[in-house]
Amino acid sequence: MSETHLPVERLSIILGEFKDVRVRKRGDRRTRVDVEPDALPALLELLKGRSGFVHLSAISCVDWPDDDQFELVYHLWSYELQLLVSVHTRIARDPGVYVSVYDIYHPAGFFERDIHEMYGVFFEGAPDMEKFILTEWDGPPPMRKEFDSEAWVNDHFDWQNYRPDWLIELEQQGGGIVIPPDEQRFSRRGMQEPDDES
Amino acid sequence: MRAENYEARNHPPSNEFEINFGPNHPGIEGNYALKVKVHGDEIVAARADGGYLHRGFEKLMEQRLWIQNIALVPRICVPDPAPMEVAYSMAVEQLCGLDVPERAQWLRVLQLELSRVAAHLFTFGGHAATTGMYSPMFWGVADRDLILDLFEELTGGRVYSIYNIPGGVRRDVPDGFLQRLSDTLDYLDSRLPDYDNLLFTNRVFVTRAKGTGPISQTQALEWSVTGPNLRATGLKFDVRRDDPYLVYDQLDFDIPTEEPGDAWARTLVRRGELQQSVRILRQVVERLPGVAGPIRAPIPNPLAWKVPAGETYVRIESSKGELGWYVVSDGSEKPYRVHVRGPSSMHAVQVLEHLVTGARIEDVAQIMFSLDACPPEVDR
Repeated sequence: MSETHLPVERLSIILGEFKDVRVRKRGDRRTRVDVEPDALPALLELLKGRSGFVHLSAISCVDWPDDDQFELVYHLWSYELQLLVSVHTRIARDPGVYVSVYDIYHPAGFFERDIHEMYGVFFEGAPDMEKFILTEWDGPPPMRKEFDSEAWVNDHFDWQNYRPDWLIELEQQGGGIVIPPDEQRFSRRGMQEPDDES
Repeated sequence: MRAENYEARNHPPSNEFEINFGPNHPGIEGNYALKVKVHGDEIVAARADGGYLHRGFEKLMEQRLWIQNIALVPRICVPDPAPMEVAYSMAVEQLCGLDVPERAQWLRVLQLELSRVAAHLFTFGGHAATTGMYSPMFWGVADRDLILDLFEELTGGRVYSIYNIPGGVRRDVPDGFLQRLSDTLDYLDSRLPDYDNLLFTNRVFVTRAKGTGPISQTQALEWSVTGPNLRATGLKFDVRRDDPYLVYDQLDFDIPTEEPGDAWARTLVRRGELQQSVRILRQVVERLPGVAGPIRAPIPNPLAWKVPAGETYVRIESSKGELGWYVVSDGSEKPYRVHVRGPSSMHAVQVLEHLVTGARIEDVAQIMFSLDACPPEVDR
């Protein structure tokens, strides 16, 4: 048995205690684990306690509106085994509530706050679900797939026709921006204005 | 109006005040702010405020072609942009199963280490400026400029080089570049004694930095602190050595560590890293001419490039710590989801709040700069 296989073997033995866990080797130091949401906190606790996965590298959230699910991915690194495990789980998109793993991994506090802000997933038991970046935002969670940034901008901001004197002068000499802002937008090219539809 | 009169009129009798530290304070980085509650000059509570920089990288990336994102990602961290494009390119390569030619891997190491040296020079300067010493700051910026000259020659860009492309790098080194790089390394070596005299043995700096904002190794592990901040607590861990990528496993370098975990230790670790990066660059200068071959793997038409469906997590060592990229593709010409684990995101929010609590007002800037937080990595 080569040395690089050893950590995965040990991991498989530990994970064998769980039902409905799928372990897939992705590379010498990468393993993917899929688990049901109910079992995830216990699995993380086991990984941290028994295999030294003390380093929570990140928690990623992926929106799958077609499946009506959010996918949460916990990237863990073991200094001891020198192995990175990505634990995937899927939760229902509505109501989008899950448990916080702050008690197991303190850095989760930051990532959960971020995911709550960007996707609207609420983590029960998290110490801090306050907004961090979007403090003056009253719209829907912006990282969700159905959020259309361009439509939001068009609805909430006016396009300003920016024409100072020096630009007008420049245009008269044949330079400057000659395409009006509306026509500069890629997605608006060839589109009819709403008024023209009738 | 005298201060005590103002207090008596406007506040209930108390020694506690709330102060906004930043965002436009010379002792805080960029747009960042700390809202601190002070009792006398001691901080009793702190709250980090991410401010407003250029947010929404992750959403923007979902709306752009795979290849267009290369020009977007270096903006995530201005002082150290190279790791961003390298990590993103590596993620796309993993999804596509592309093999990067060896020469391109060496060139990427060259770019990454130059970027690390530039970033550390910047940090020394900023850190020194928090104690009122501006000369190291000017020196750091001036010496960094020599590296930017090299970047300009190699890539055409001084700050955002946009040198990488999934599959390799854009161009080979110009004639005479390695000699000029070697000369710059000699110059940097000759500058280190000057930096030692001016900064690292400076009594003001040493007295202020020692014992400020200490993190124990247990705390560092608990809070997922990475990079030089983790190595300042005595743990010898570096992604370049322990989870190697590119050709780092063929290179000979040490991993500097310190024990106390305070602001002083963190600065010393960076000083050591700077020396090690110069050592790595010397090996690149020596061995690169012998590594023949192409600099780019054949790639599909970039404007109609559909990356096979899948997901991958790539992590590399940036000058601020561990940088992670989680990239998901649904098989279309744009990424489905990109999540950036900014190296600073850990120590710039929770750890910073924790460390400044109990410290004095004058130490806030010291702690912030010694942690080497880069705000855009937090608000992405």
